[in-house]
Amino acid sequence: MTYLTFEQVTKTFQSTAGPIEVVAPFDLTVARGELVVFLGPSGCGKTTLMRMVGGLETPSSGRILLEGTPLTRPDHRRGMVFQSYSSFPWLTVAENVAYGMRYRRDLSAGAKADRAQHYLAVVGLSDFASAYPSRISGGMRQRVAIARTLAAGSEILLMDEPFGALDAQRRETLQLELHKLQEEDARTIIFVTHDVEEAAFLADRVILFTRRPARILAEVEVSRRLGSRRTLATRDSQDFFALRTELLAQVRATAVEEAAA
Amino acid sequence: MAATRRTDLVIGLIACGALFAAWELVAWLGLTSPRFLPAPSQILVALWRMITEQSLLWHAGVSTLRVWTAFLIAAAMAVPIGIMMGSNRIVGAALEPLIDFIRYLPVPALVPLSIIWFGVGEETKIFLLWLGTFFQLVLLVADDVHRVPQEYHEIAATLGAPGWRRLLDVALPAMLPTLVDNMRITLGWCWTYLIIAEIVAADSGLGFVIWQARRYFKTPEVMAGVIAIGVIGLLTDQLVRVLHRRWFSYLRP
Repeated sequence: MTYLTFEQVTKTFQSTAGPIEVVAPFDLTVARGELVVFLGPSGCGKTTLMRMVGGLETPSSGRILLEGTPLTRPDHRRGMVFQSYSSFPWLTVAENVAYGMRYRRDLSAGAKADRAQHYLAVVGLSDFASAYPSRISGGMRQRVAIARTLAAGSEILLMDEPFGALDAQRRETLQLELHKLQEEDARTIIFVTHDVEEAAFLADRVILFTRRPARILAEVEVSRRLGSRRTLATRDSQDFFALRTELLAQVRATAVEEAAA
Repeated sequence: MAATRRTDLVIGLIACGALFAAWELVAWLGLTSPRFLPAPSQILVALWRMITEQSLLWHAGVSTLRVWTAFLIAAAMAVPIGIMMGSNRIVGAALEPLIDFIRYLPVPALVPLSIIWFGVGEETKIFLLWLGTFFQLVLLVADDVHRVPQEYHEIAATLGAPGWRRLLDVALPAMLPTLVDNMRITLGWCWTYLIIAEIVAADSGLGFVIWQARRYFKTPEVMAGVIAIGVIGLLTDQLVRVLHRRWFSYLRP
């Protein structure tokens, strides 16, 4: 059985200027443990699609199925990582991670504490457990958010340009870490970005979007070309360059189309 | 950081000192009539006499008690109502026009009505102070709720928090620093209404003291009374700022 399925999903927002079609009928299946990157111009509707998976928006028509069951409301099986305001400033790093399990009744207090400890270690923040988010770097704050969703028990991580506000160095470090994490933990990740290089480096599969309303322009099986393991060396490989150039050409084509429209 | 703050303080003190020195000089040279602009030294003497002979501190205590009673009643009502207005569209739409209307009514214009309703006792004074505070604060609180980043609500929602827990666990702590700041500001406004409340048939309080001094043209005493209010306001404000820094130290890098 397929894991996550989009069936003819559409989204139309009502505005004072009339209805705005954000997502055209959209079909996609995502396998368990796959890292899918939604790549496309800003405002193309890719984030809306991801938010519908999270249950933060409802499709205007069509449905999204998780293991055959339609998704309606948000729950802890799908966790969001935002670009900004990704952690609570009034809680320490450890409390932020533990917050992921706050509303779970199936875990004892002890189990929650153990899990929080564990995922803090996974993202390498054990030494900063009692620090407040304002006193750690932006990269660490994003790790806090990732640890929170992992601790919450999210099977699907929905990441909305999570590294968009970081400098190039930290970005690269976190991309590597995310990849390693996903290899070990086999969570399903939907990662939204407009950065071609980030998409090529992270993805098992890149879904390239047209401008609004969101449609699939192209699908690229990155794993088949770069392998599923990525290291710093991947970035310097011929295959990576070729892939990046190819994706860039596609993105530019949409930009030209947009300028002409 | 500490050095800059100390520099600011020194600059502030020097500016104040210069102003008072100039004022003193002008009065000492006889350029102004003491009846209109007494020298700072005369005001200080008056202040001391009022403390020792006219129980100024007791009057100040009475006024402070009135301000705080009215303010606490206003805050205890404004915070829950403001949160409801900010988080529930129907409640917000229902109350906002009404509150906006009352907010623009000048408090002095409601003095006669207040006397008809509550007489000339303590209730009228508390009511007038409450009137000047509640309607301002409630809108500020509603606004604070609106300004909680959408992301915080959504993080809580995806982790399975029901609506009311989102308010309690996320919106409230997120808005608390600005809430305390807004309370500090409205408490200041409450003091500005004190004079109006205490001019109405009062026999105690700083407003009464100032009004009495005016009747006998004791300008130094009028000014001493005004200064007493200013000092209390300044001290309260600074105290709340210190507490704010301590409570919300997590906001600073």
